[in-house]
Amino acid sequence: MRLDQTTHKKSLFQHVVGTLAPSFLIILLIGVWVFASNRNSVLVPSPVTVIQRFIKTFTNPINNQLIWGHIWASLKRVLLALLISCGIGIPFGVLIGWNKTFNAIFGTLFEVLRPIPPIAWMPLIIMLLGIGEVPKVVIVFIGTFTPIVLNTATSIRLVDTLYLDVGRMFNANERQLLFHVALPASLTSIFAGFRTATSGGLMVVMAAEMIGAKAGLGFLIQRGLDAFDIPLIMVGMIVIGLVGSVLAILTDFLERWITHGR
Amino acid sequence: MKAYDTKLKYTFLSIATVIAFLLLWQLLAVTGFTGIIPAPSVVFRTLLDKFSNPNPDGATLLKNIVISLKVSLTGLLLGIGIGVPLGWLMAWYEPVNKLVRPLFEFIRPIPPISWIPLTILWVGIGLGAKAMIIFFGCFVPCLINAYAGVKTTDQTLINVAKTFGASNFTTFRKVAIPSSLPLTFTGMRTALNCAWSTLVAAELLAANAGVGYMITMGRSVGRVDIVIAGMITIGVIGYVFSRLFDKIESIVVKWRTL
Amino acid sequence: MAGSIRLTIDHISKTFPIGKSESFKVIDDLSFDVADNEFLVLLGPGHCGKTVTLNIAAGLEKADAGTVRLDGEVVDRPNSKMGMVFQKVGTFPWLTVLENVELGPRFKGENKADRRKRAEKFIKIVGLQGFEDSYPVQLSGGMKQRVGIARAYTNQPEILIMDEPFGALDAQTRYSMEEEVARIWSQEKRTIIFVTNNIEEAVYLGDRIILLTECPAKVKAIYQVDLPRPRDMMSPAFLALRQKISDNTDFSMEREAEA
Repeated sequence: MRLDQTTHKKSLFQHVVGTLAPSFLIILLIGVWVFASNRNSVLVPSPVTVIQRFIKTFTNPINNQLIWGHIWASLKRVLLALLISCGIGIPFGVLIGWNKTFNAIFGTLFEVLRPIPPIAWMPLIIMLLGIGEVPKVVIVFIGTFTPIVLNTATSIRLVDTLYLDVGRMFNANERQLLFHVALPASLTSIFAGFRTATSGGLMVVMAAEMIGAKAGLGFLIQRGLDAFDIPLIMVGMIVIGLVGSVLAILTDFLERWITHGR
Repeated sequence: MKAYDTKLKYTFLSIATVIAFLLLWQLLAVTGFTGIIPAPSVVFRTLLDKFSNPNPDGATLLKNIVISLKVSLTGLLLGIGIGVPLGWLMAWYEPVNKLVRPLFEFIRPIPPISWIPLTILWVGIGLGAKAMIIFFGCFVPCLINAYAGVKTTDQTLINVAKTFGASNFTTFRKVAIPSSLPLTFTGMRTALNCAWSTLVAAELLAANAGVGYMITMGRSVGRVDIVIAGMITIGVIGYVFSRLFDKIESIVVKWRTL
Repeated sequence: MAGSIRLTIDHISKTFPIGKSESFKVIDDLSFDVADNEFLVLLGPGHCGKTVTLNIAAGLEKADAGTVRLDGEVVDRPNSKMGMVFQKVGTFPWLTVLENVELGPRFKGENKADRRKRAEKFIKIVGLQGFEDSYPVQLSGGMKQRVGIARAYTNQPEILIMDEPFGALDAQTRYSMEEEVARIWSQEKRTIIFVTNNIEEAVYLGDRIILLTECPAKVKAIYQVDLPRPRDMMSPAFLALRQKISDNTDFSMEREAEA
């Protein structure tokens, strides 16, 4: 992309910078971190303390759960919500994208409720359903449902008319147009919605677990705050980041598998 | 014309749906089917009342709105102001990319909400703390989309600029940045949504004022009408902002829609 | 004119609204007939009315006034007796070449063995054997358009509509595709309506050429082409007819400048 890339060879200086630069900011950050923790090791625990705390979570249970248990608790909620969102959200999105009357009725209701962020539903859901497992999955579901419906409906609405004309010209009936033309044409966009839903779901599950839970990574972070265990807060943050990355990679694989790497 | 009639029909159907929804809700609430959820008329009265009544959270609705807006806009503008230029620079200048990317990739997957406890301990629960949390949420989509916008600049356009003797920096400024604007705006739109929903979380977990705090207080004193009134307020403001944003976008990237 | 009349375009007009008050007339009272097994070329300048005319003839769009009749019956929706090769091809990127080609019979519910056999036959005719399992992204523009042609033939249409199929191809590929189409037509006789803005292509392919006016589209002149096939683009008769049509078109200047 850079213009001068081909016009002159890299000097030794650039070469050194090029190799060291990627690690430079990380080293700087760790440096600042260590410096700060030397000043106040309670408020800013050193990297070593955090790593030790992380290792401890594998052997010492917190609220009867090792780290795996907490990861699974959060993951289970998100995956369940994603599954339900896909199961309901994709058909719903297809219907409001395909059928104008359905869109005028249910699409409108969806649009009216959509501007309310999922987390704003949390207090109401808790008042209605308490703080058990069901309300948590419901709240995460609200977060994952919206992007899936939105992406599905938009891409179905915007399917290239050329594809639809080709379908019609080659004997497709309305049902075949939807399932064999519009839906495959929208697959990439539906996956984009799924990706947004995954990161949205992780965010909502954090919030739900921080407000009231007995397990989960959000619970760990909140427990860290309550017990003034700052290393534990950082462990929770790092682990949720790792979980998010792994989920993103798995989604990429799933997409490549379904679309045969087109 | 016929197309116009059809459009009118669907608009009518949409409005009818919303009215039917409200009527059904009212009916179910009056007959006691909705449990603790009050009728829309009650929520509406609470909403009006909140304009002058500071109970139970200690501030009138307008005051809460102003506080929430201040926090979210500070975070959003910081996120845009740092994320967008950084994304542009990373896409155009490889050394910047190499320098920033590892750190960015490290921070990116951490949901902004999980910064809340650390922020509370370090900065407290004031405006700055919440703005910082929102910043973490807005910064990421701004950077990613600005980066992608510059990276997907048509090579032909860059070559044209090069042929006309433009320097590397001029090409960046006059070609790459303008052509990145549609995607950059997409990023800012995501950031806007993110700012608003992160704000609610921040105010639910750590605040002493704001619309989110009003909802929390409503919940702790068992006033479902206050909770729903707060949700509606948040929804309406979010909607107004996203429409406002549409307007700005259509003015700035006019060449795209023409 | 040889053979009986299959398709009748009867006084069709089409206007598109632009904004609230303005409108844009693209077809004005256009009429023509298409005879059985005829290779008819609609030759028209620029970007006005041709594609819309074809879409109306195929039943994909509705005319504001006038009717289209196929064997006496009004056409108001796509009909499997008619096939279309689209200007922008429209191969489905999620299907392989073979799956794209057998699209029509598959939608119709024909059994797999039959449709496969026919699809393979036409893949061979258009010269794509070996690429059956490739995806469209792996093909060049010319190859994609071959898929489009094979797809149309596999659906066994009685009337084949081709909408500027070679407009987007480079000159070299275009010549070879024109030869291909002429060859396939002599091999698999069909009624063909072929739209182009290229005079040479029109004279090379057509039994009859209907010259359309600039916007809105109307019939300006009709030319019977009695040259023997395969045609030689450099023969005096060919060049004379080409010149004659060229002199009668609004876009002769443009073509010259291009050449």
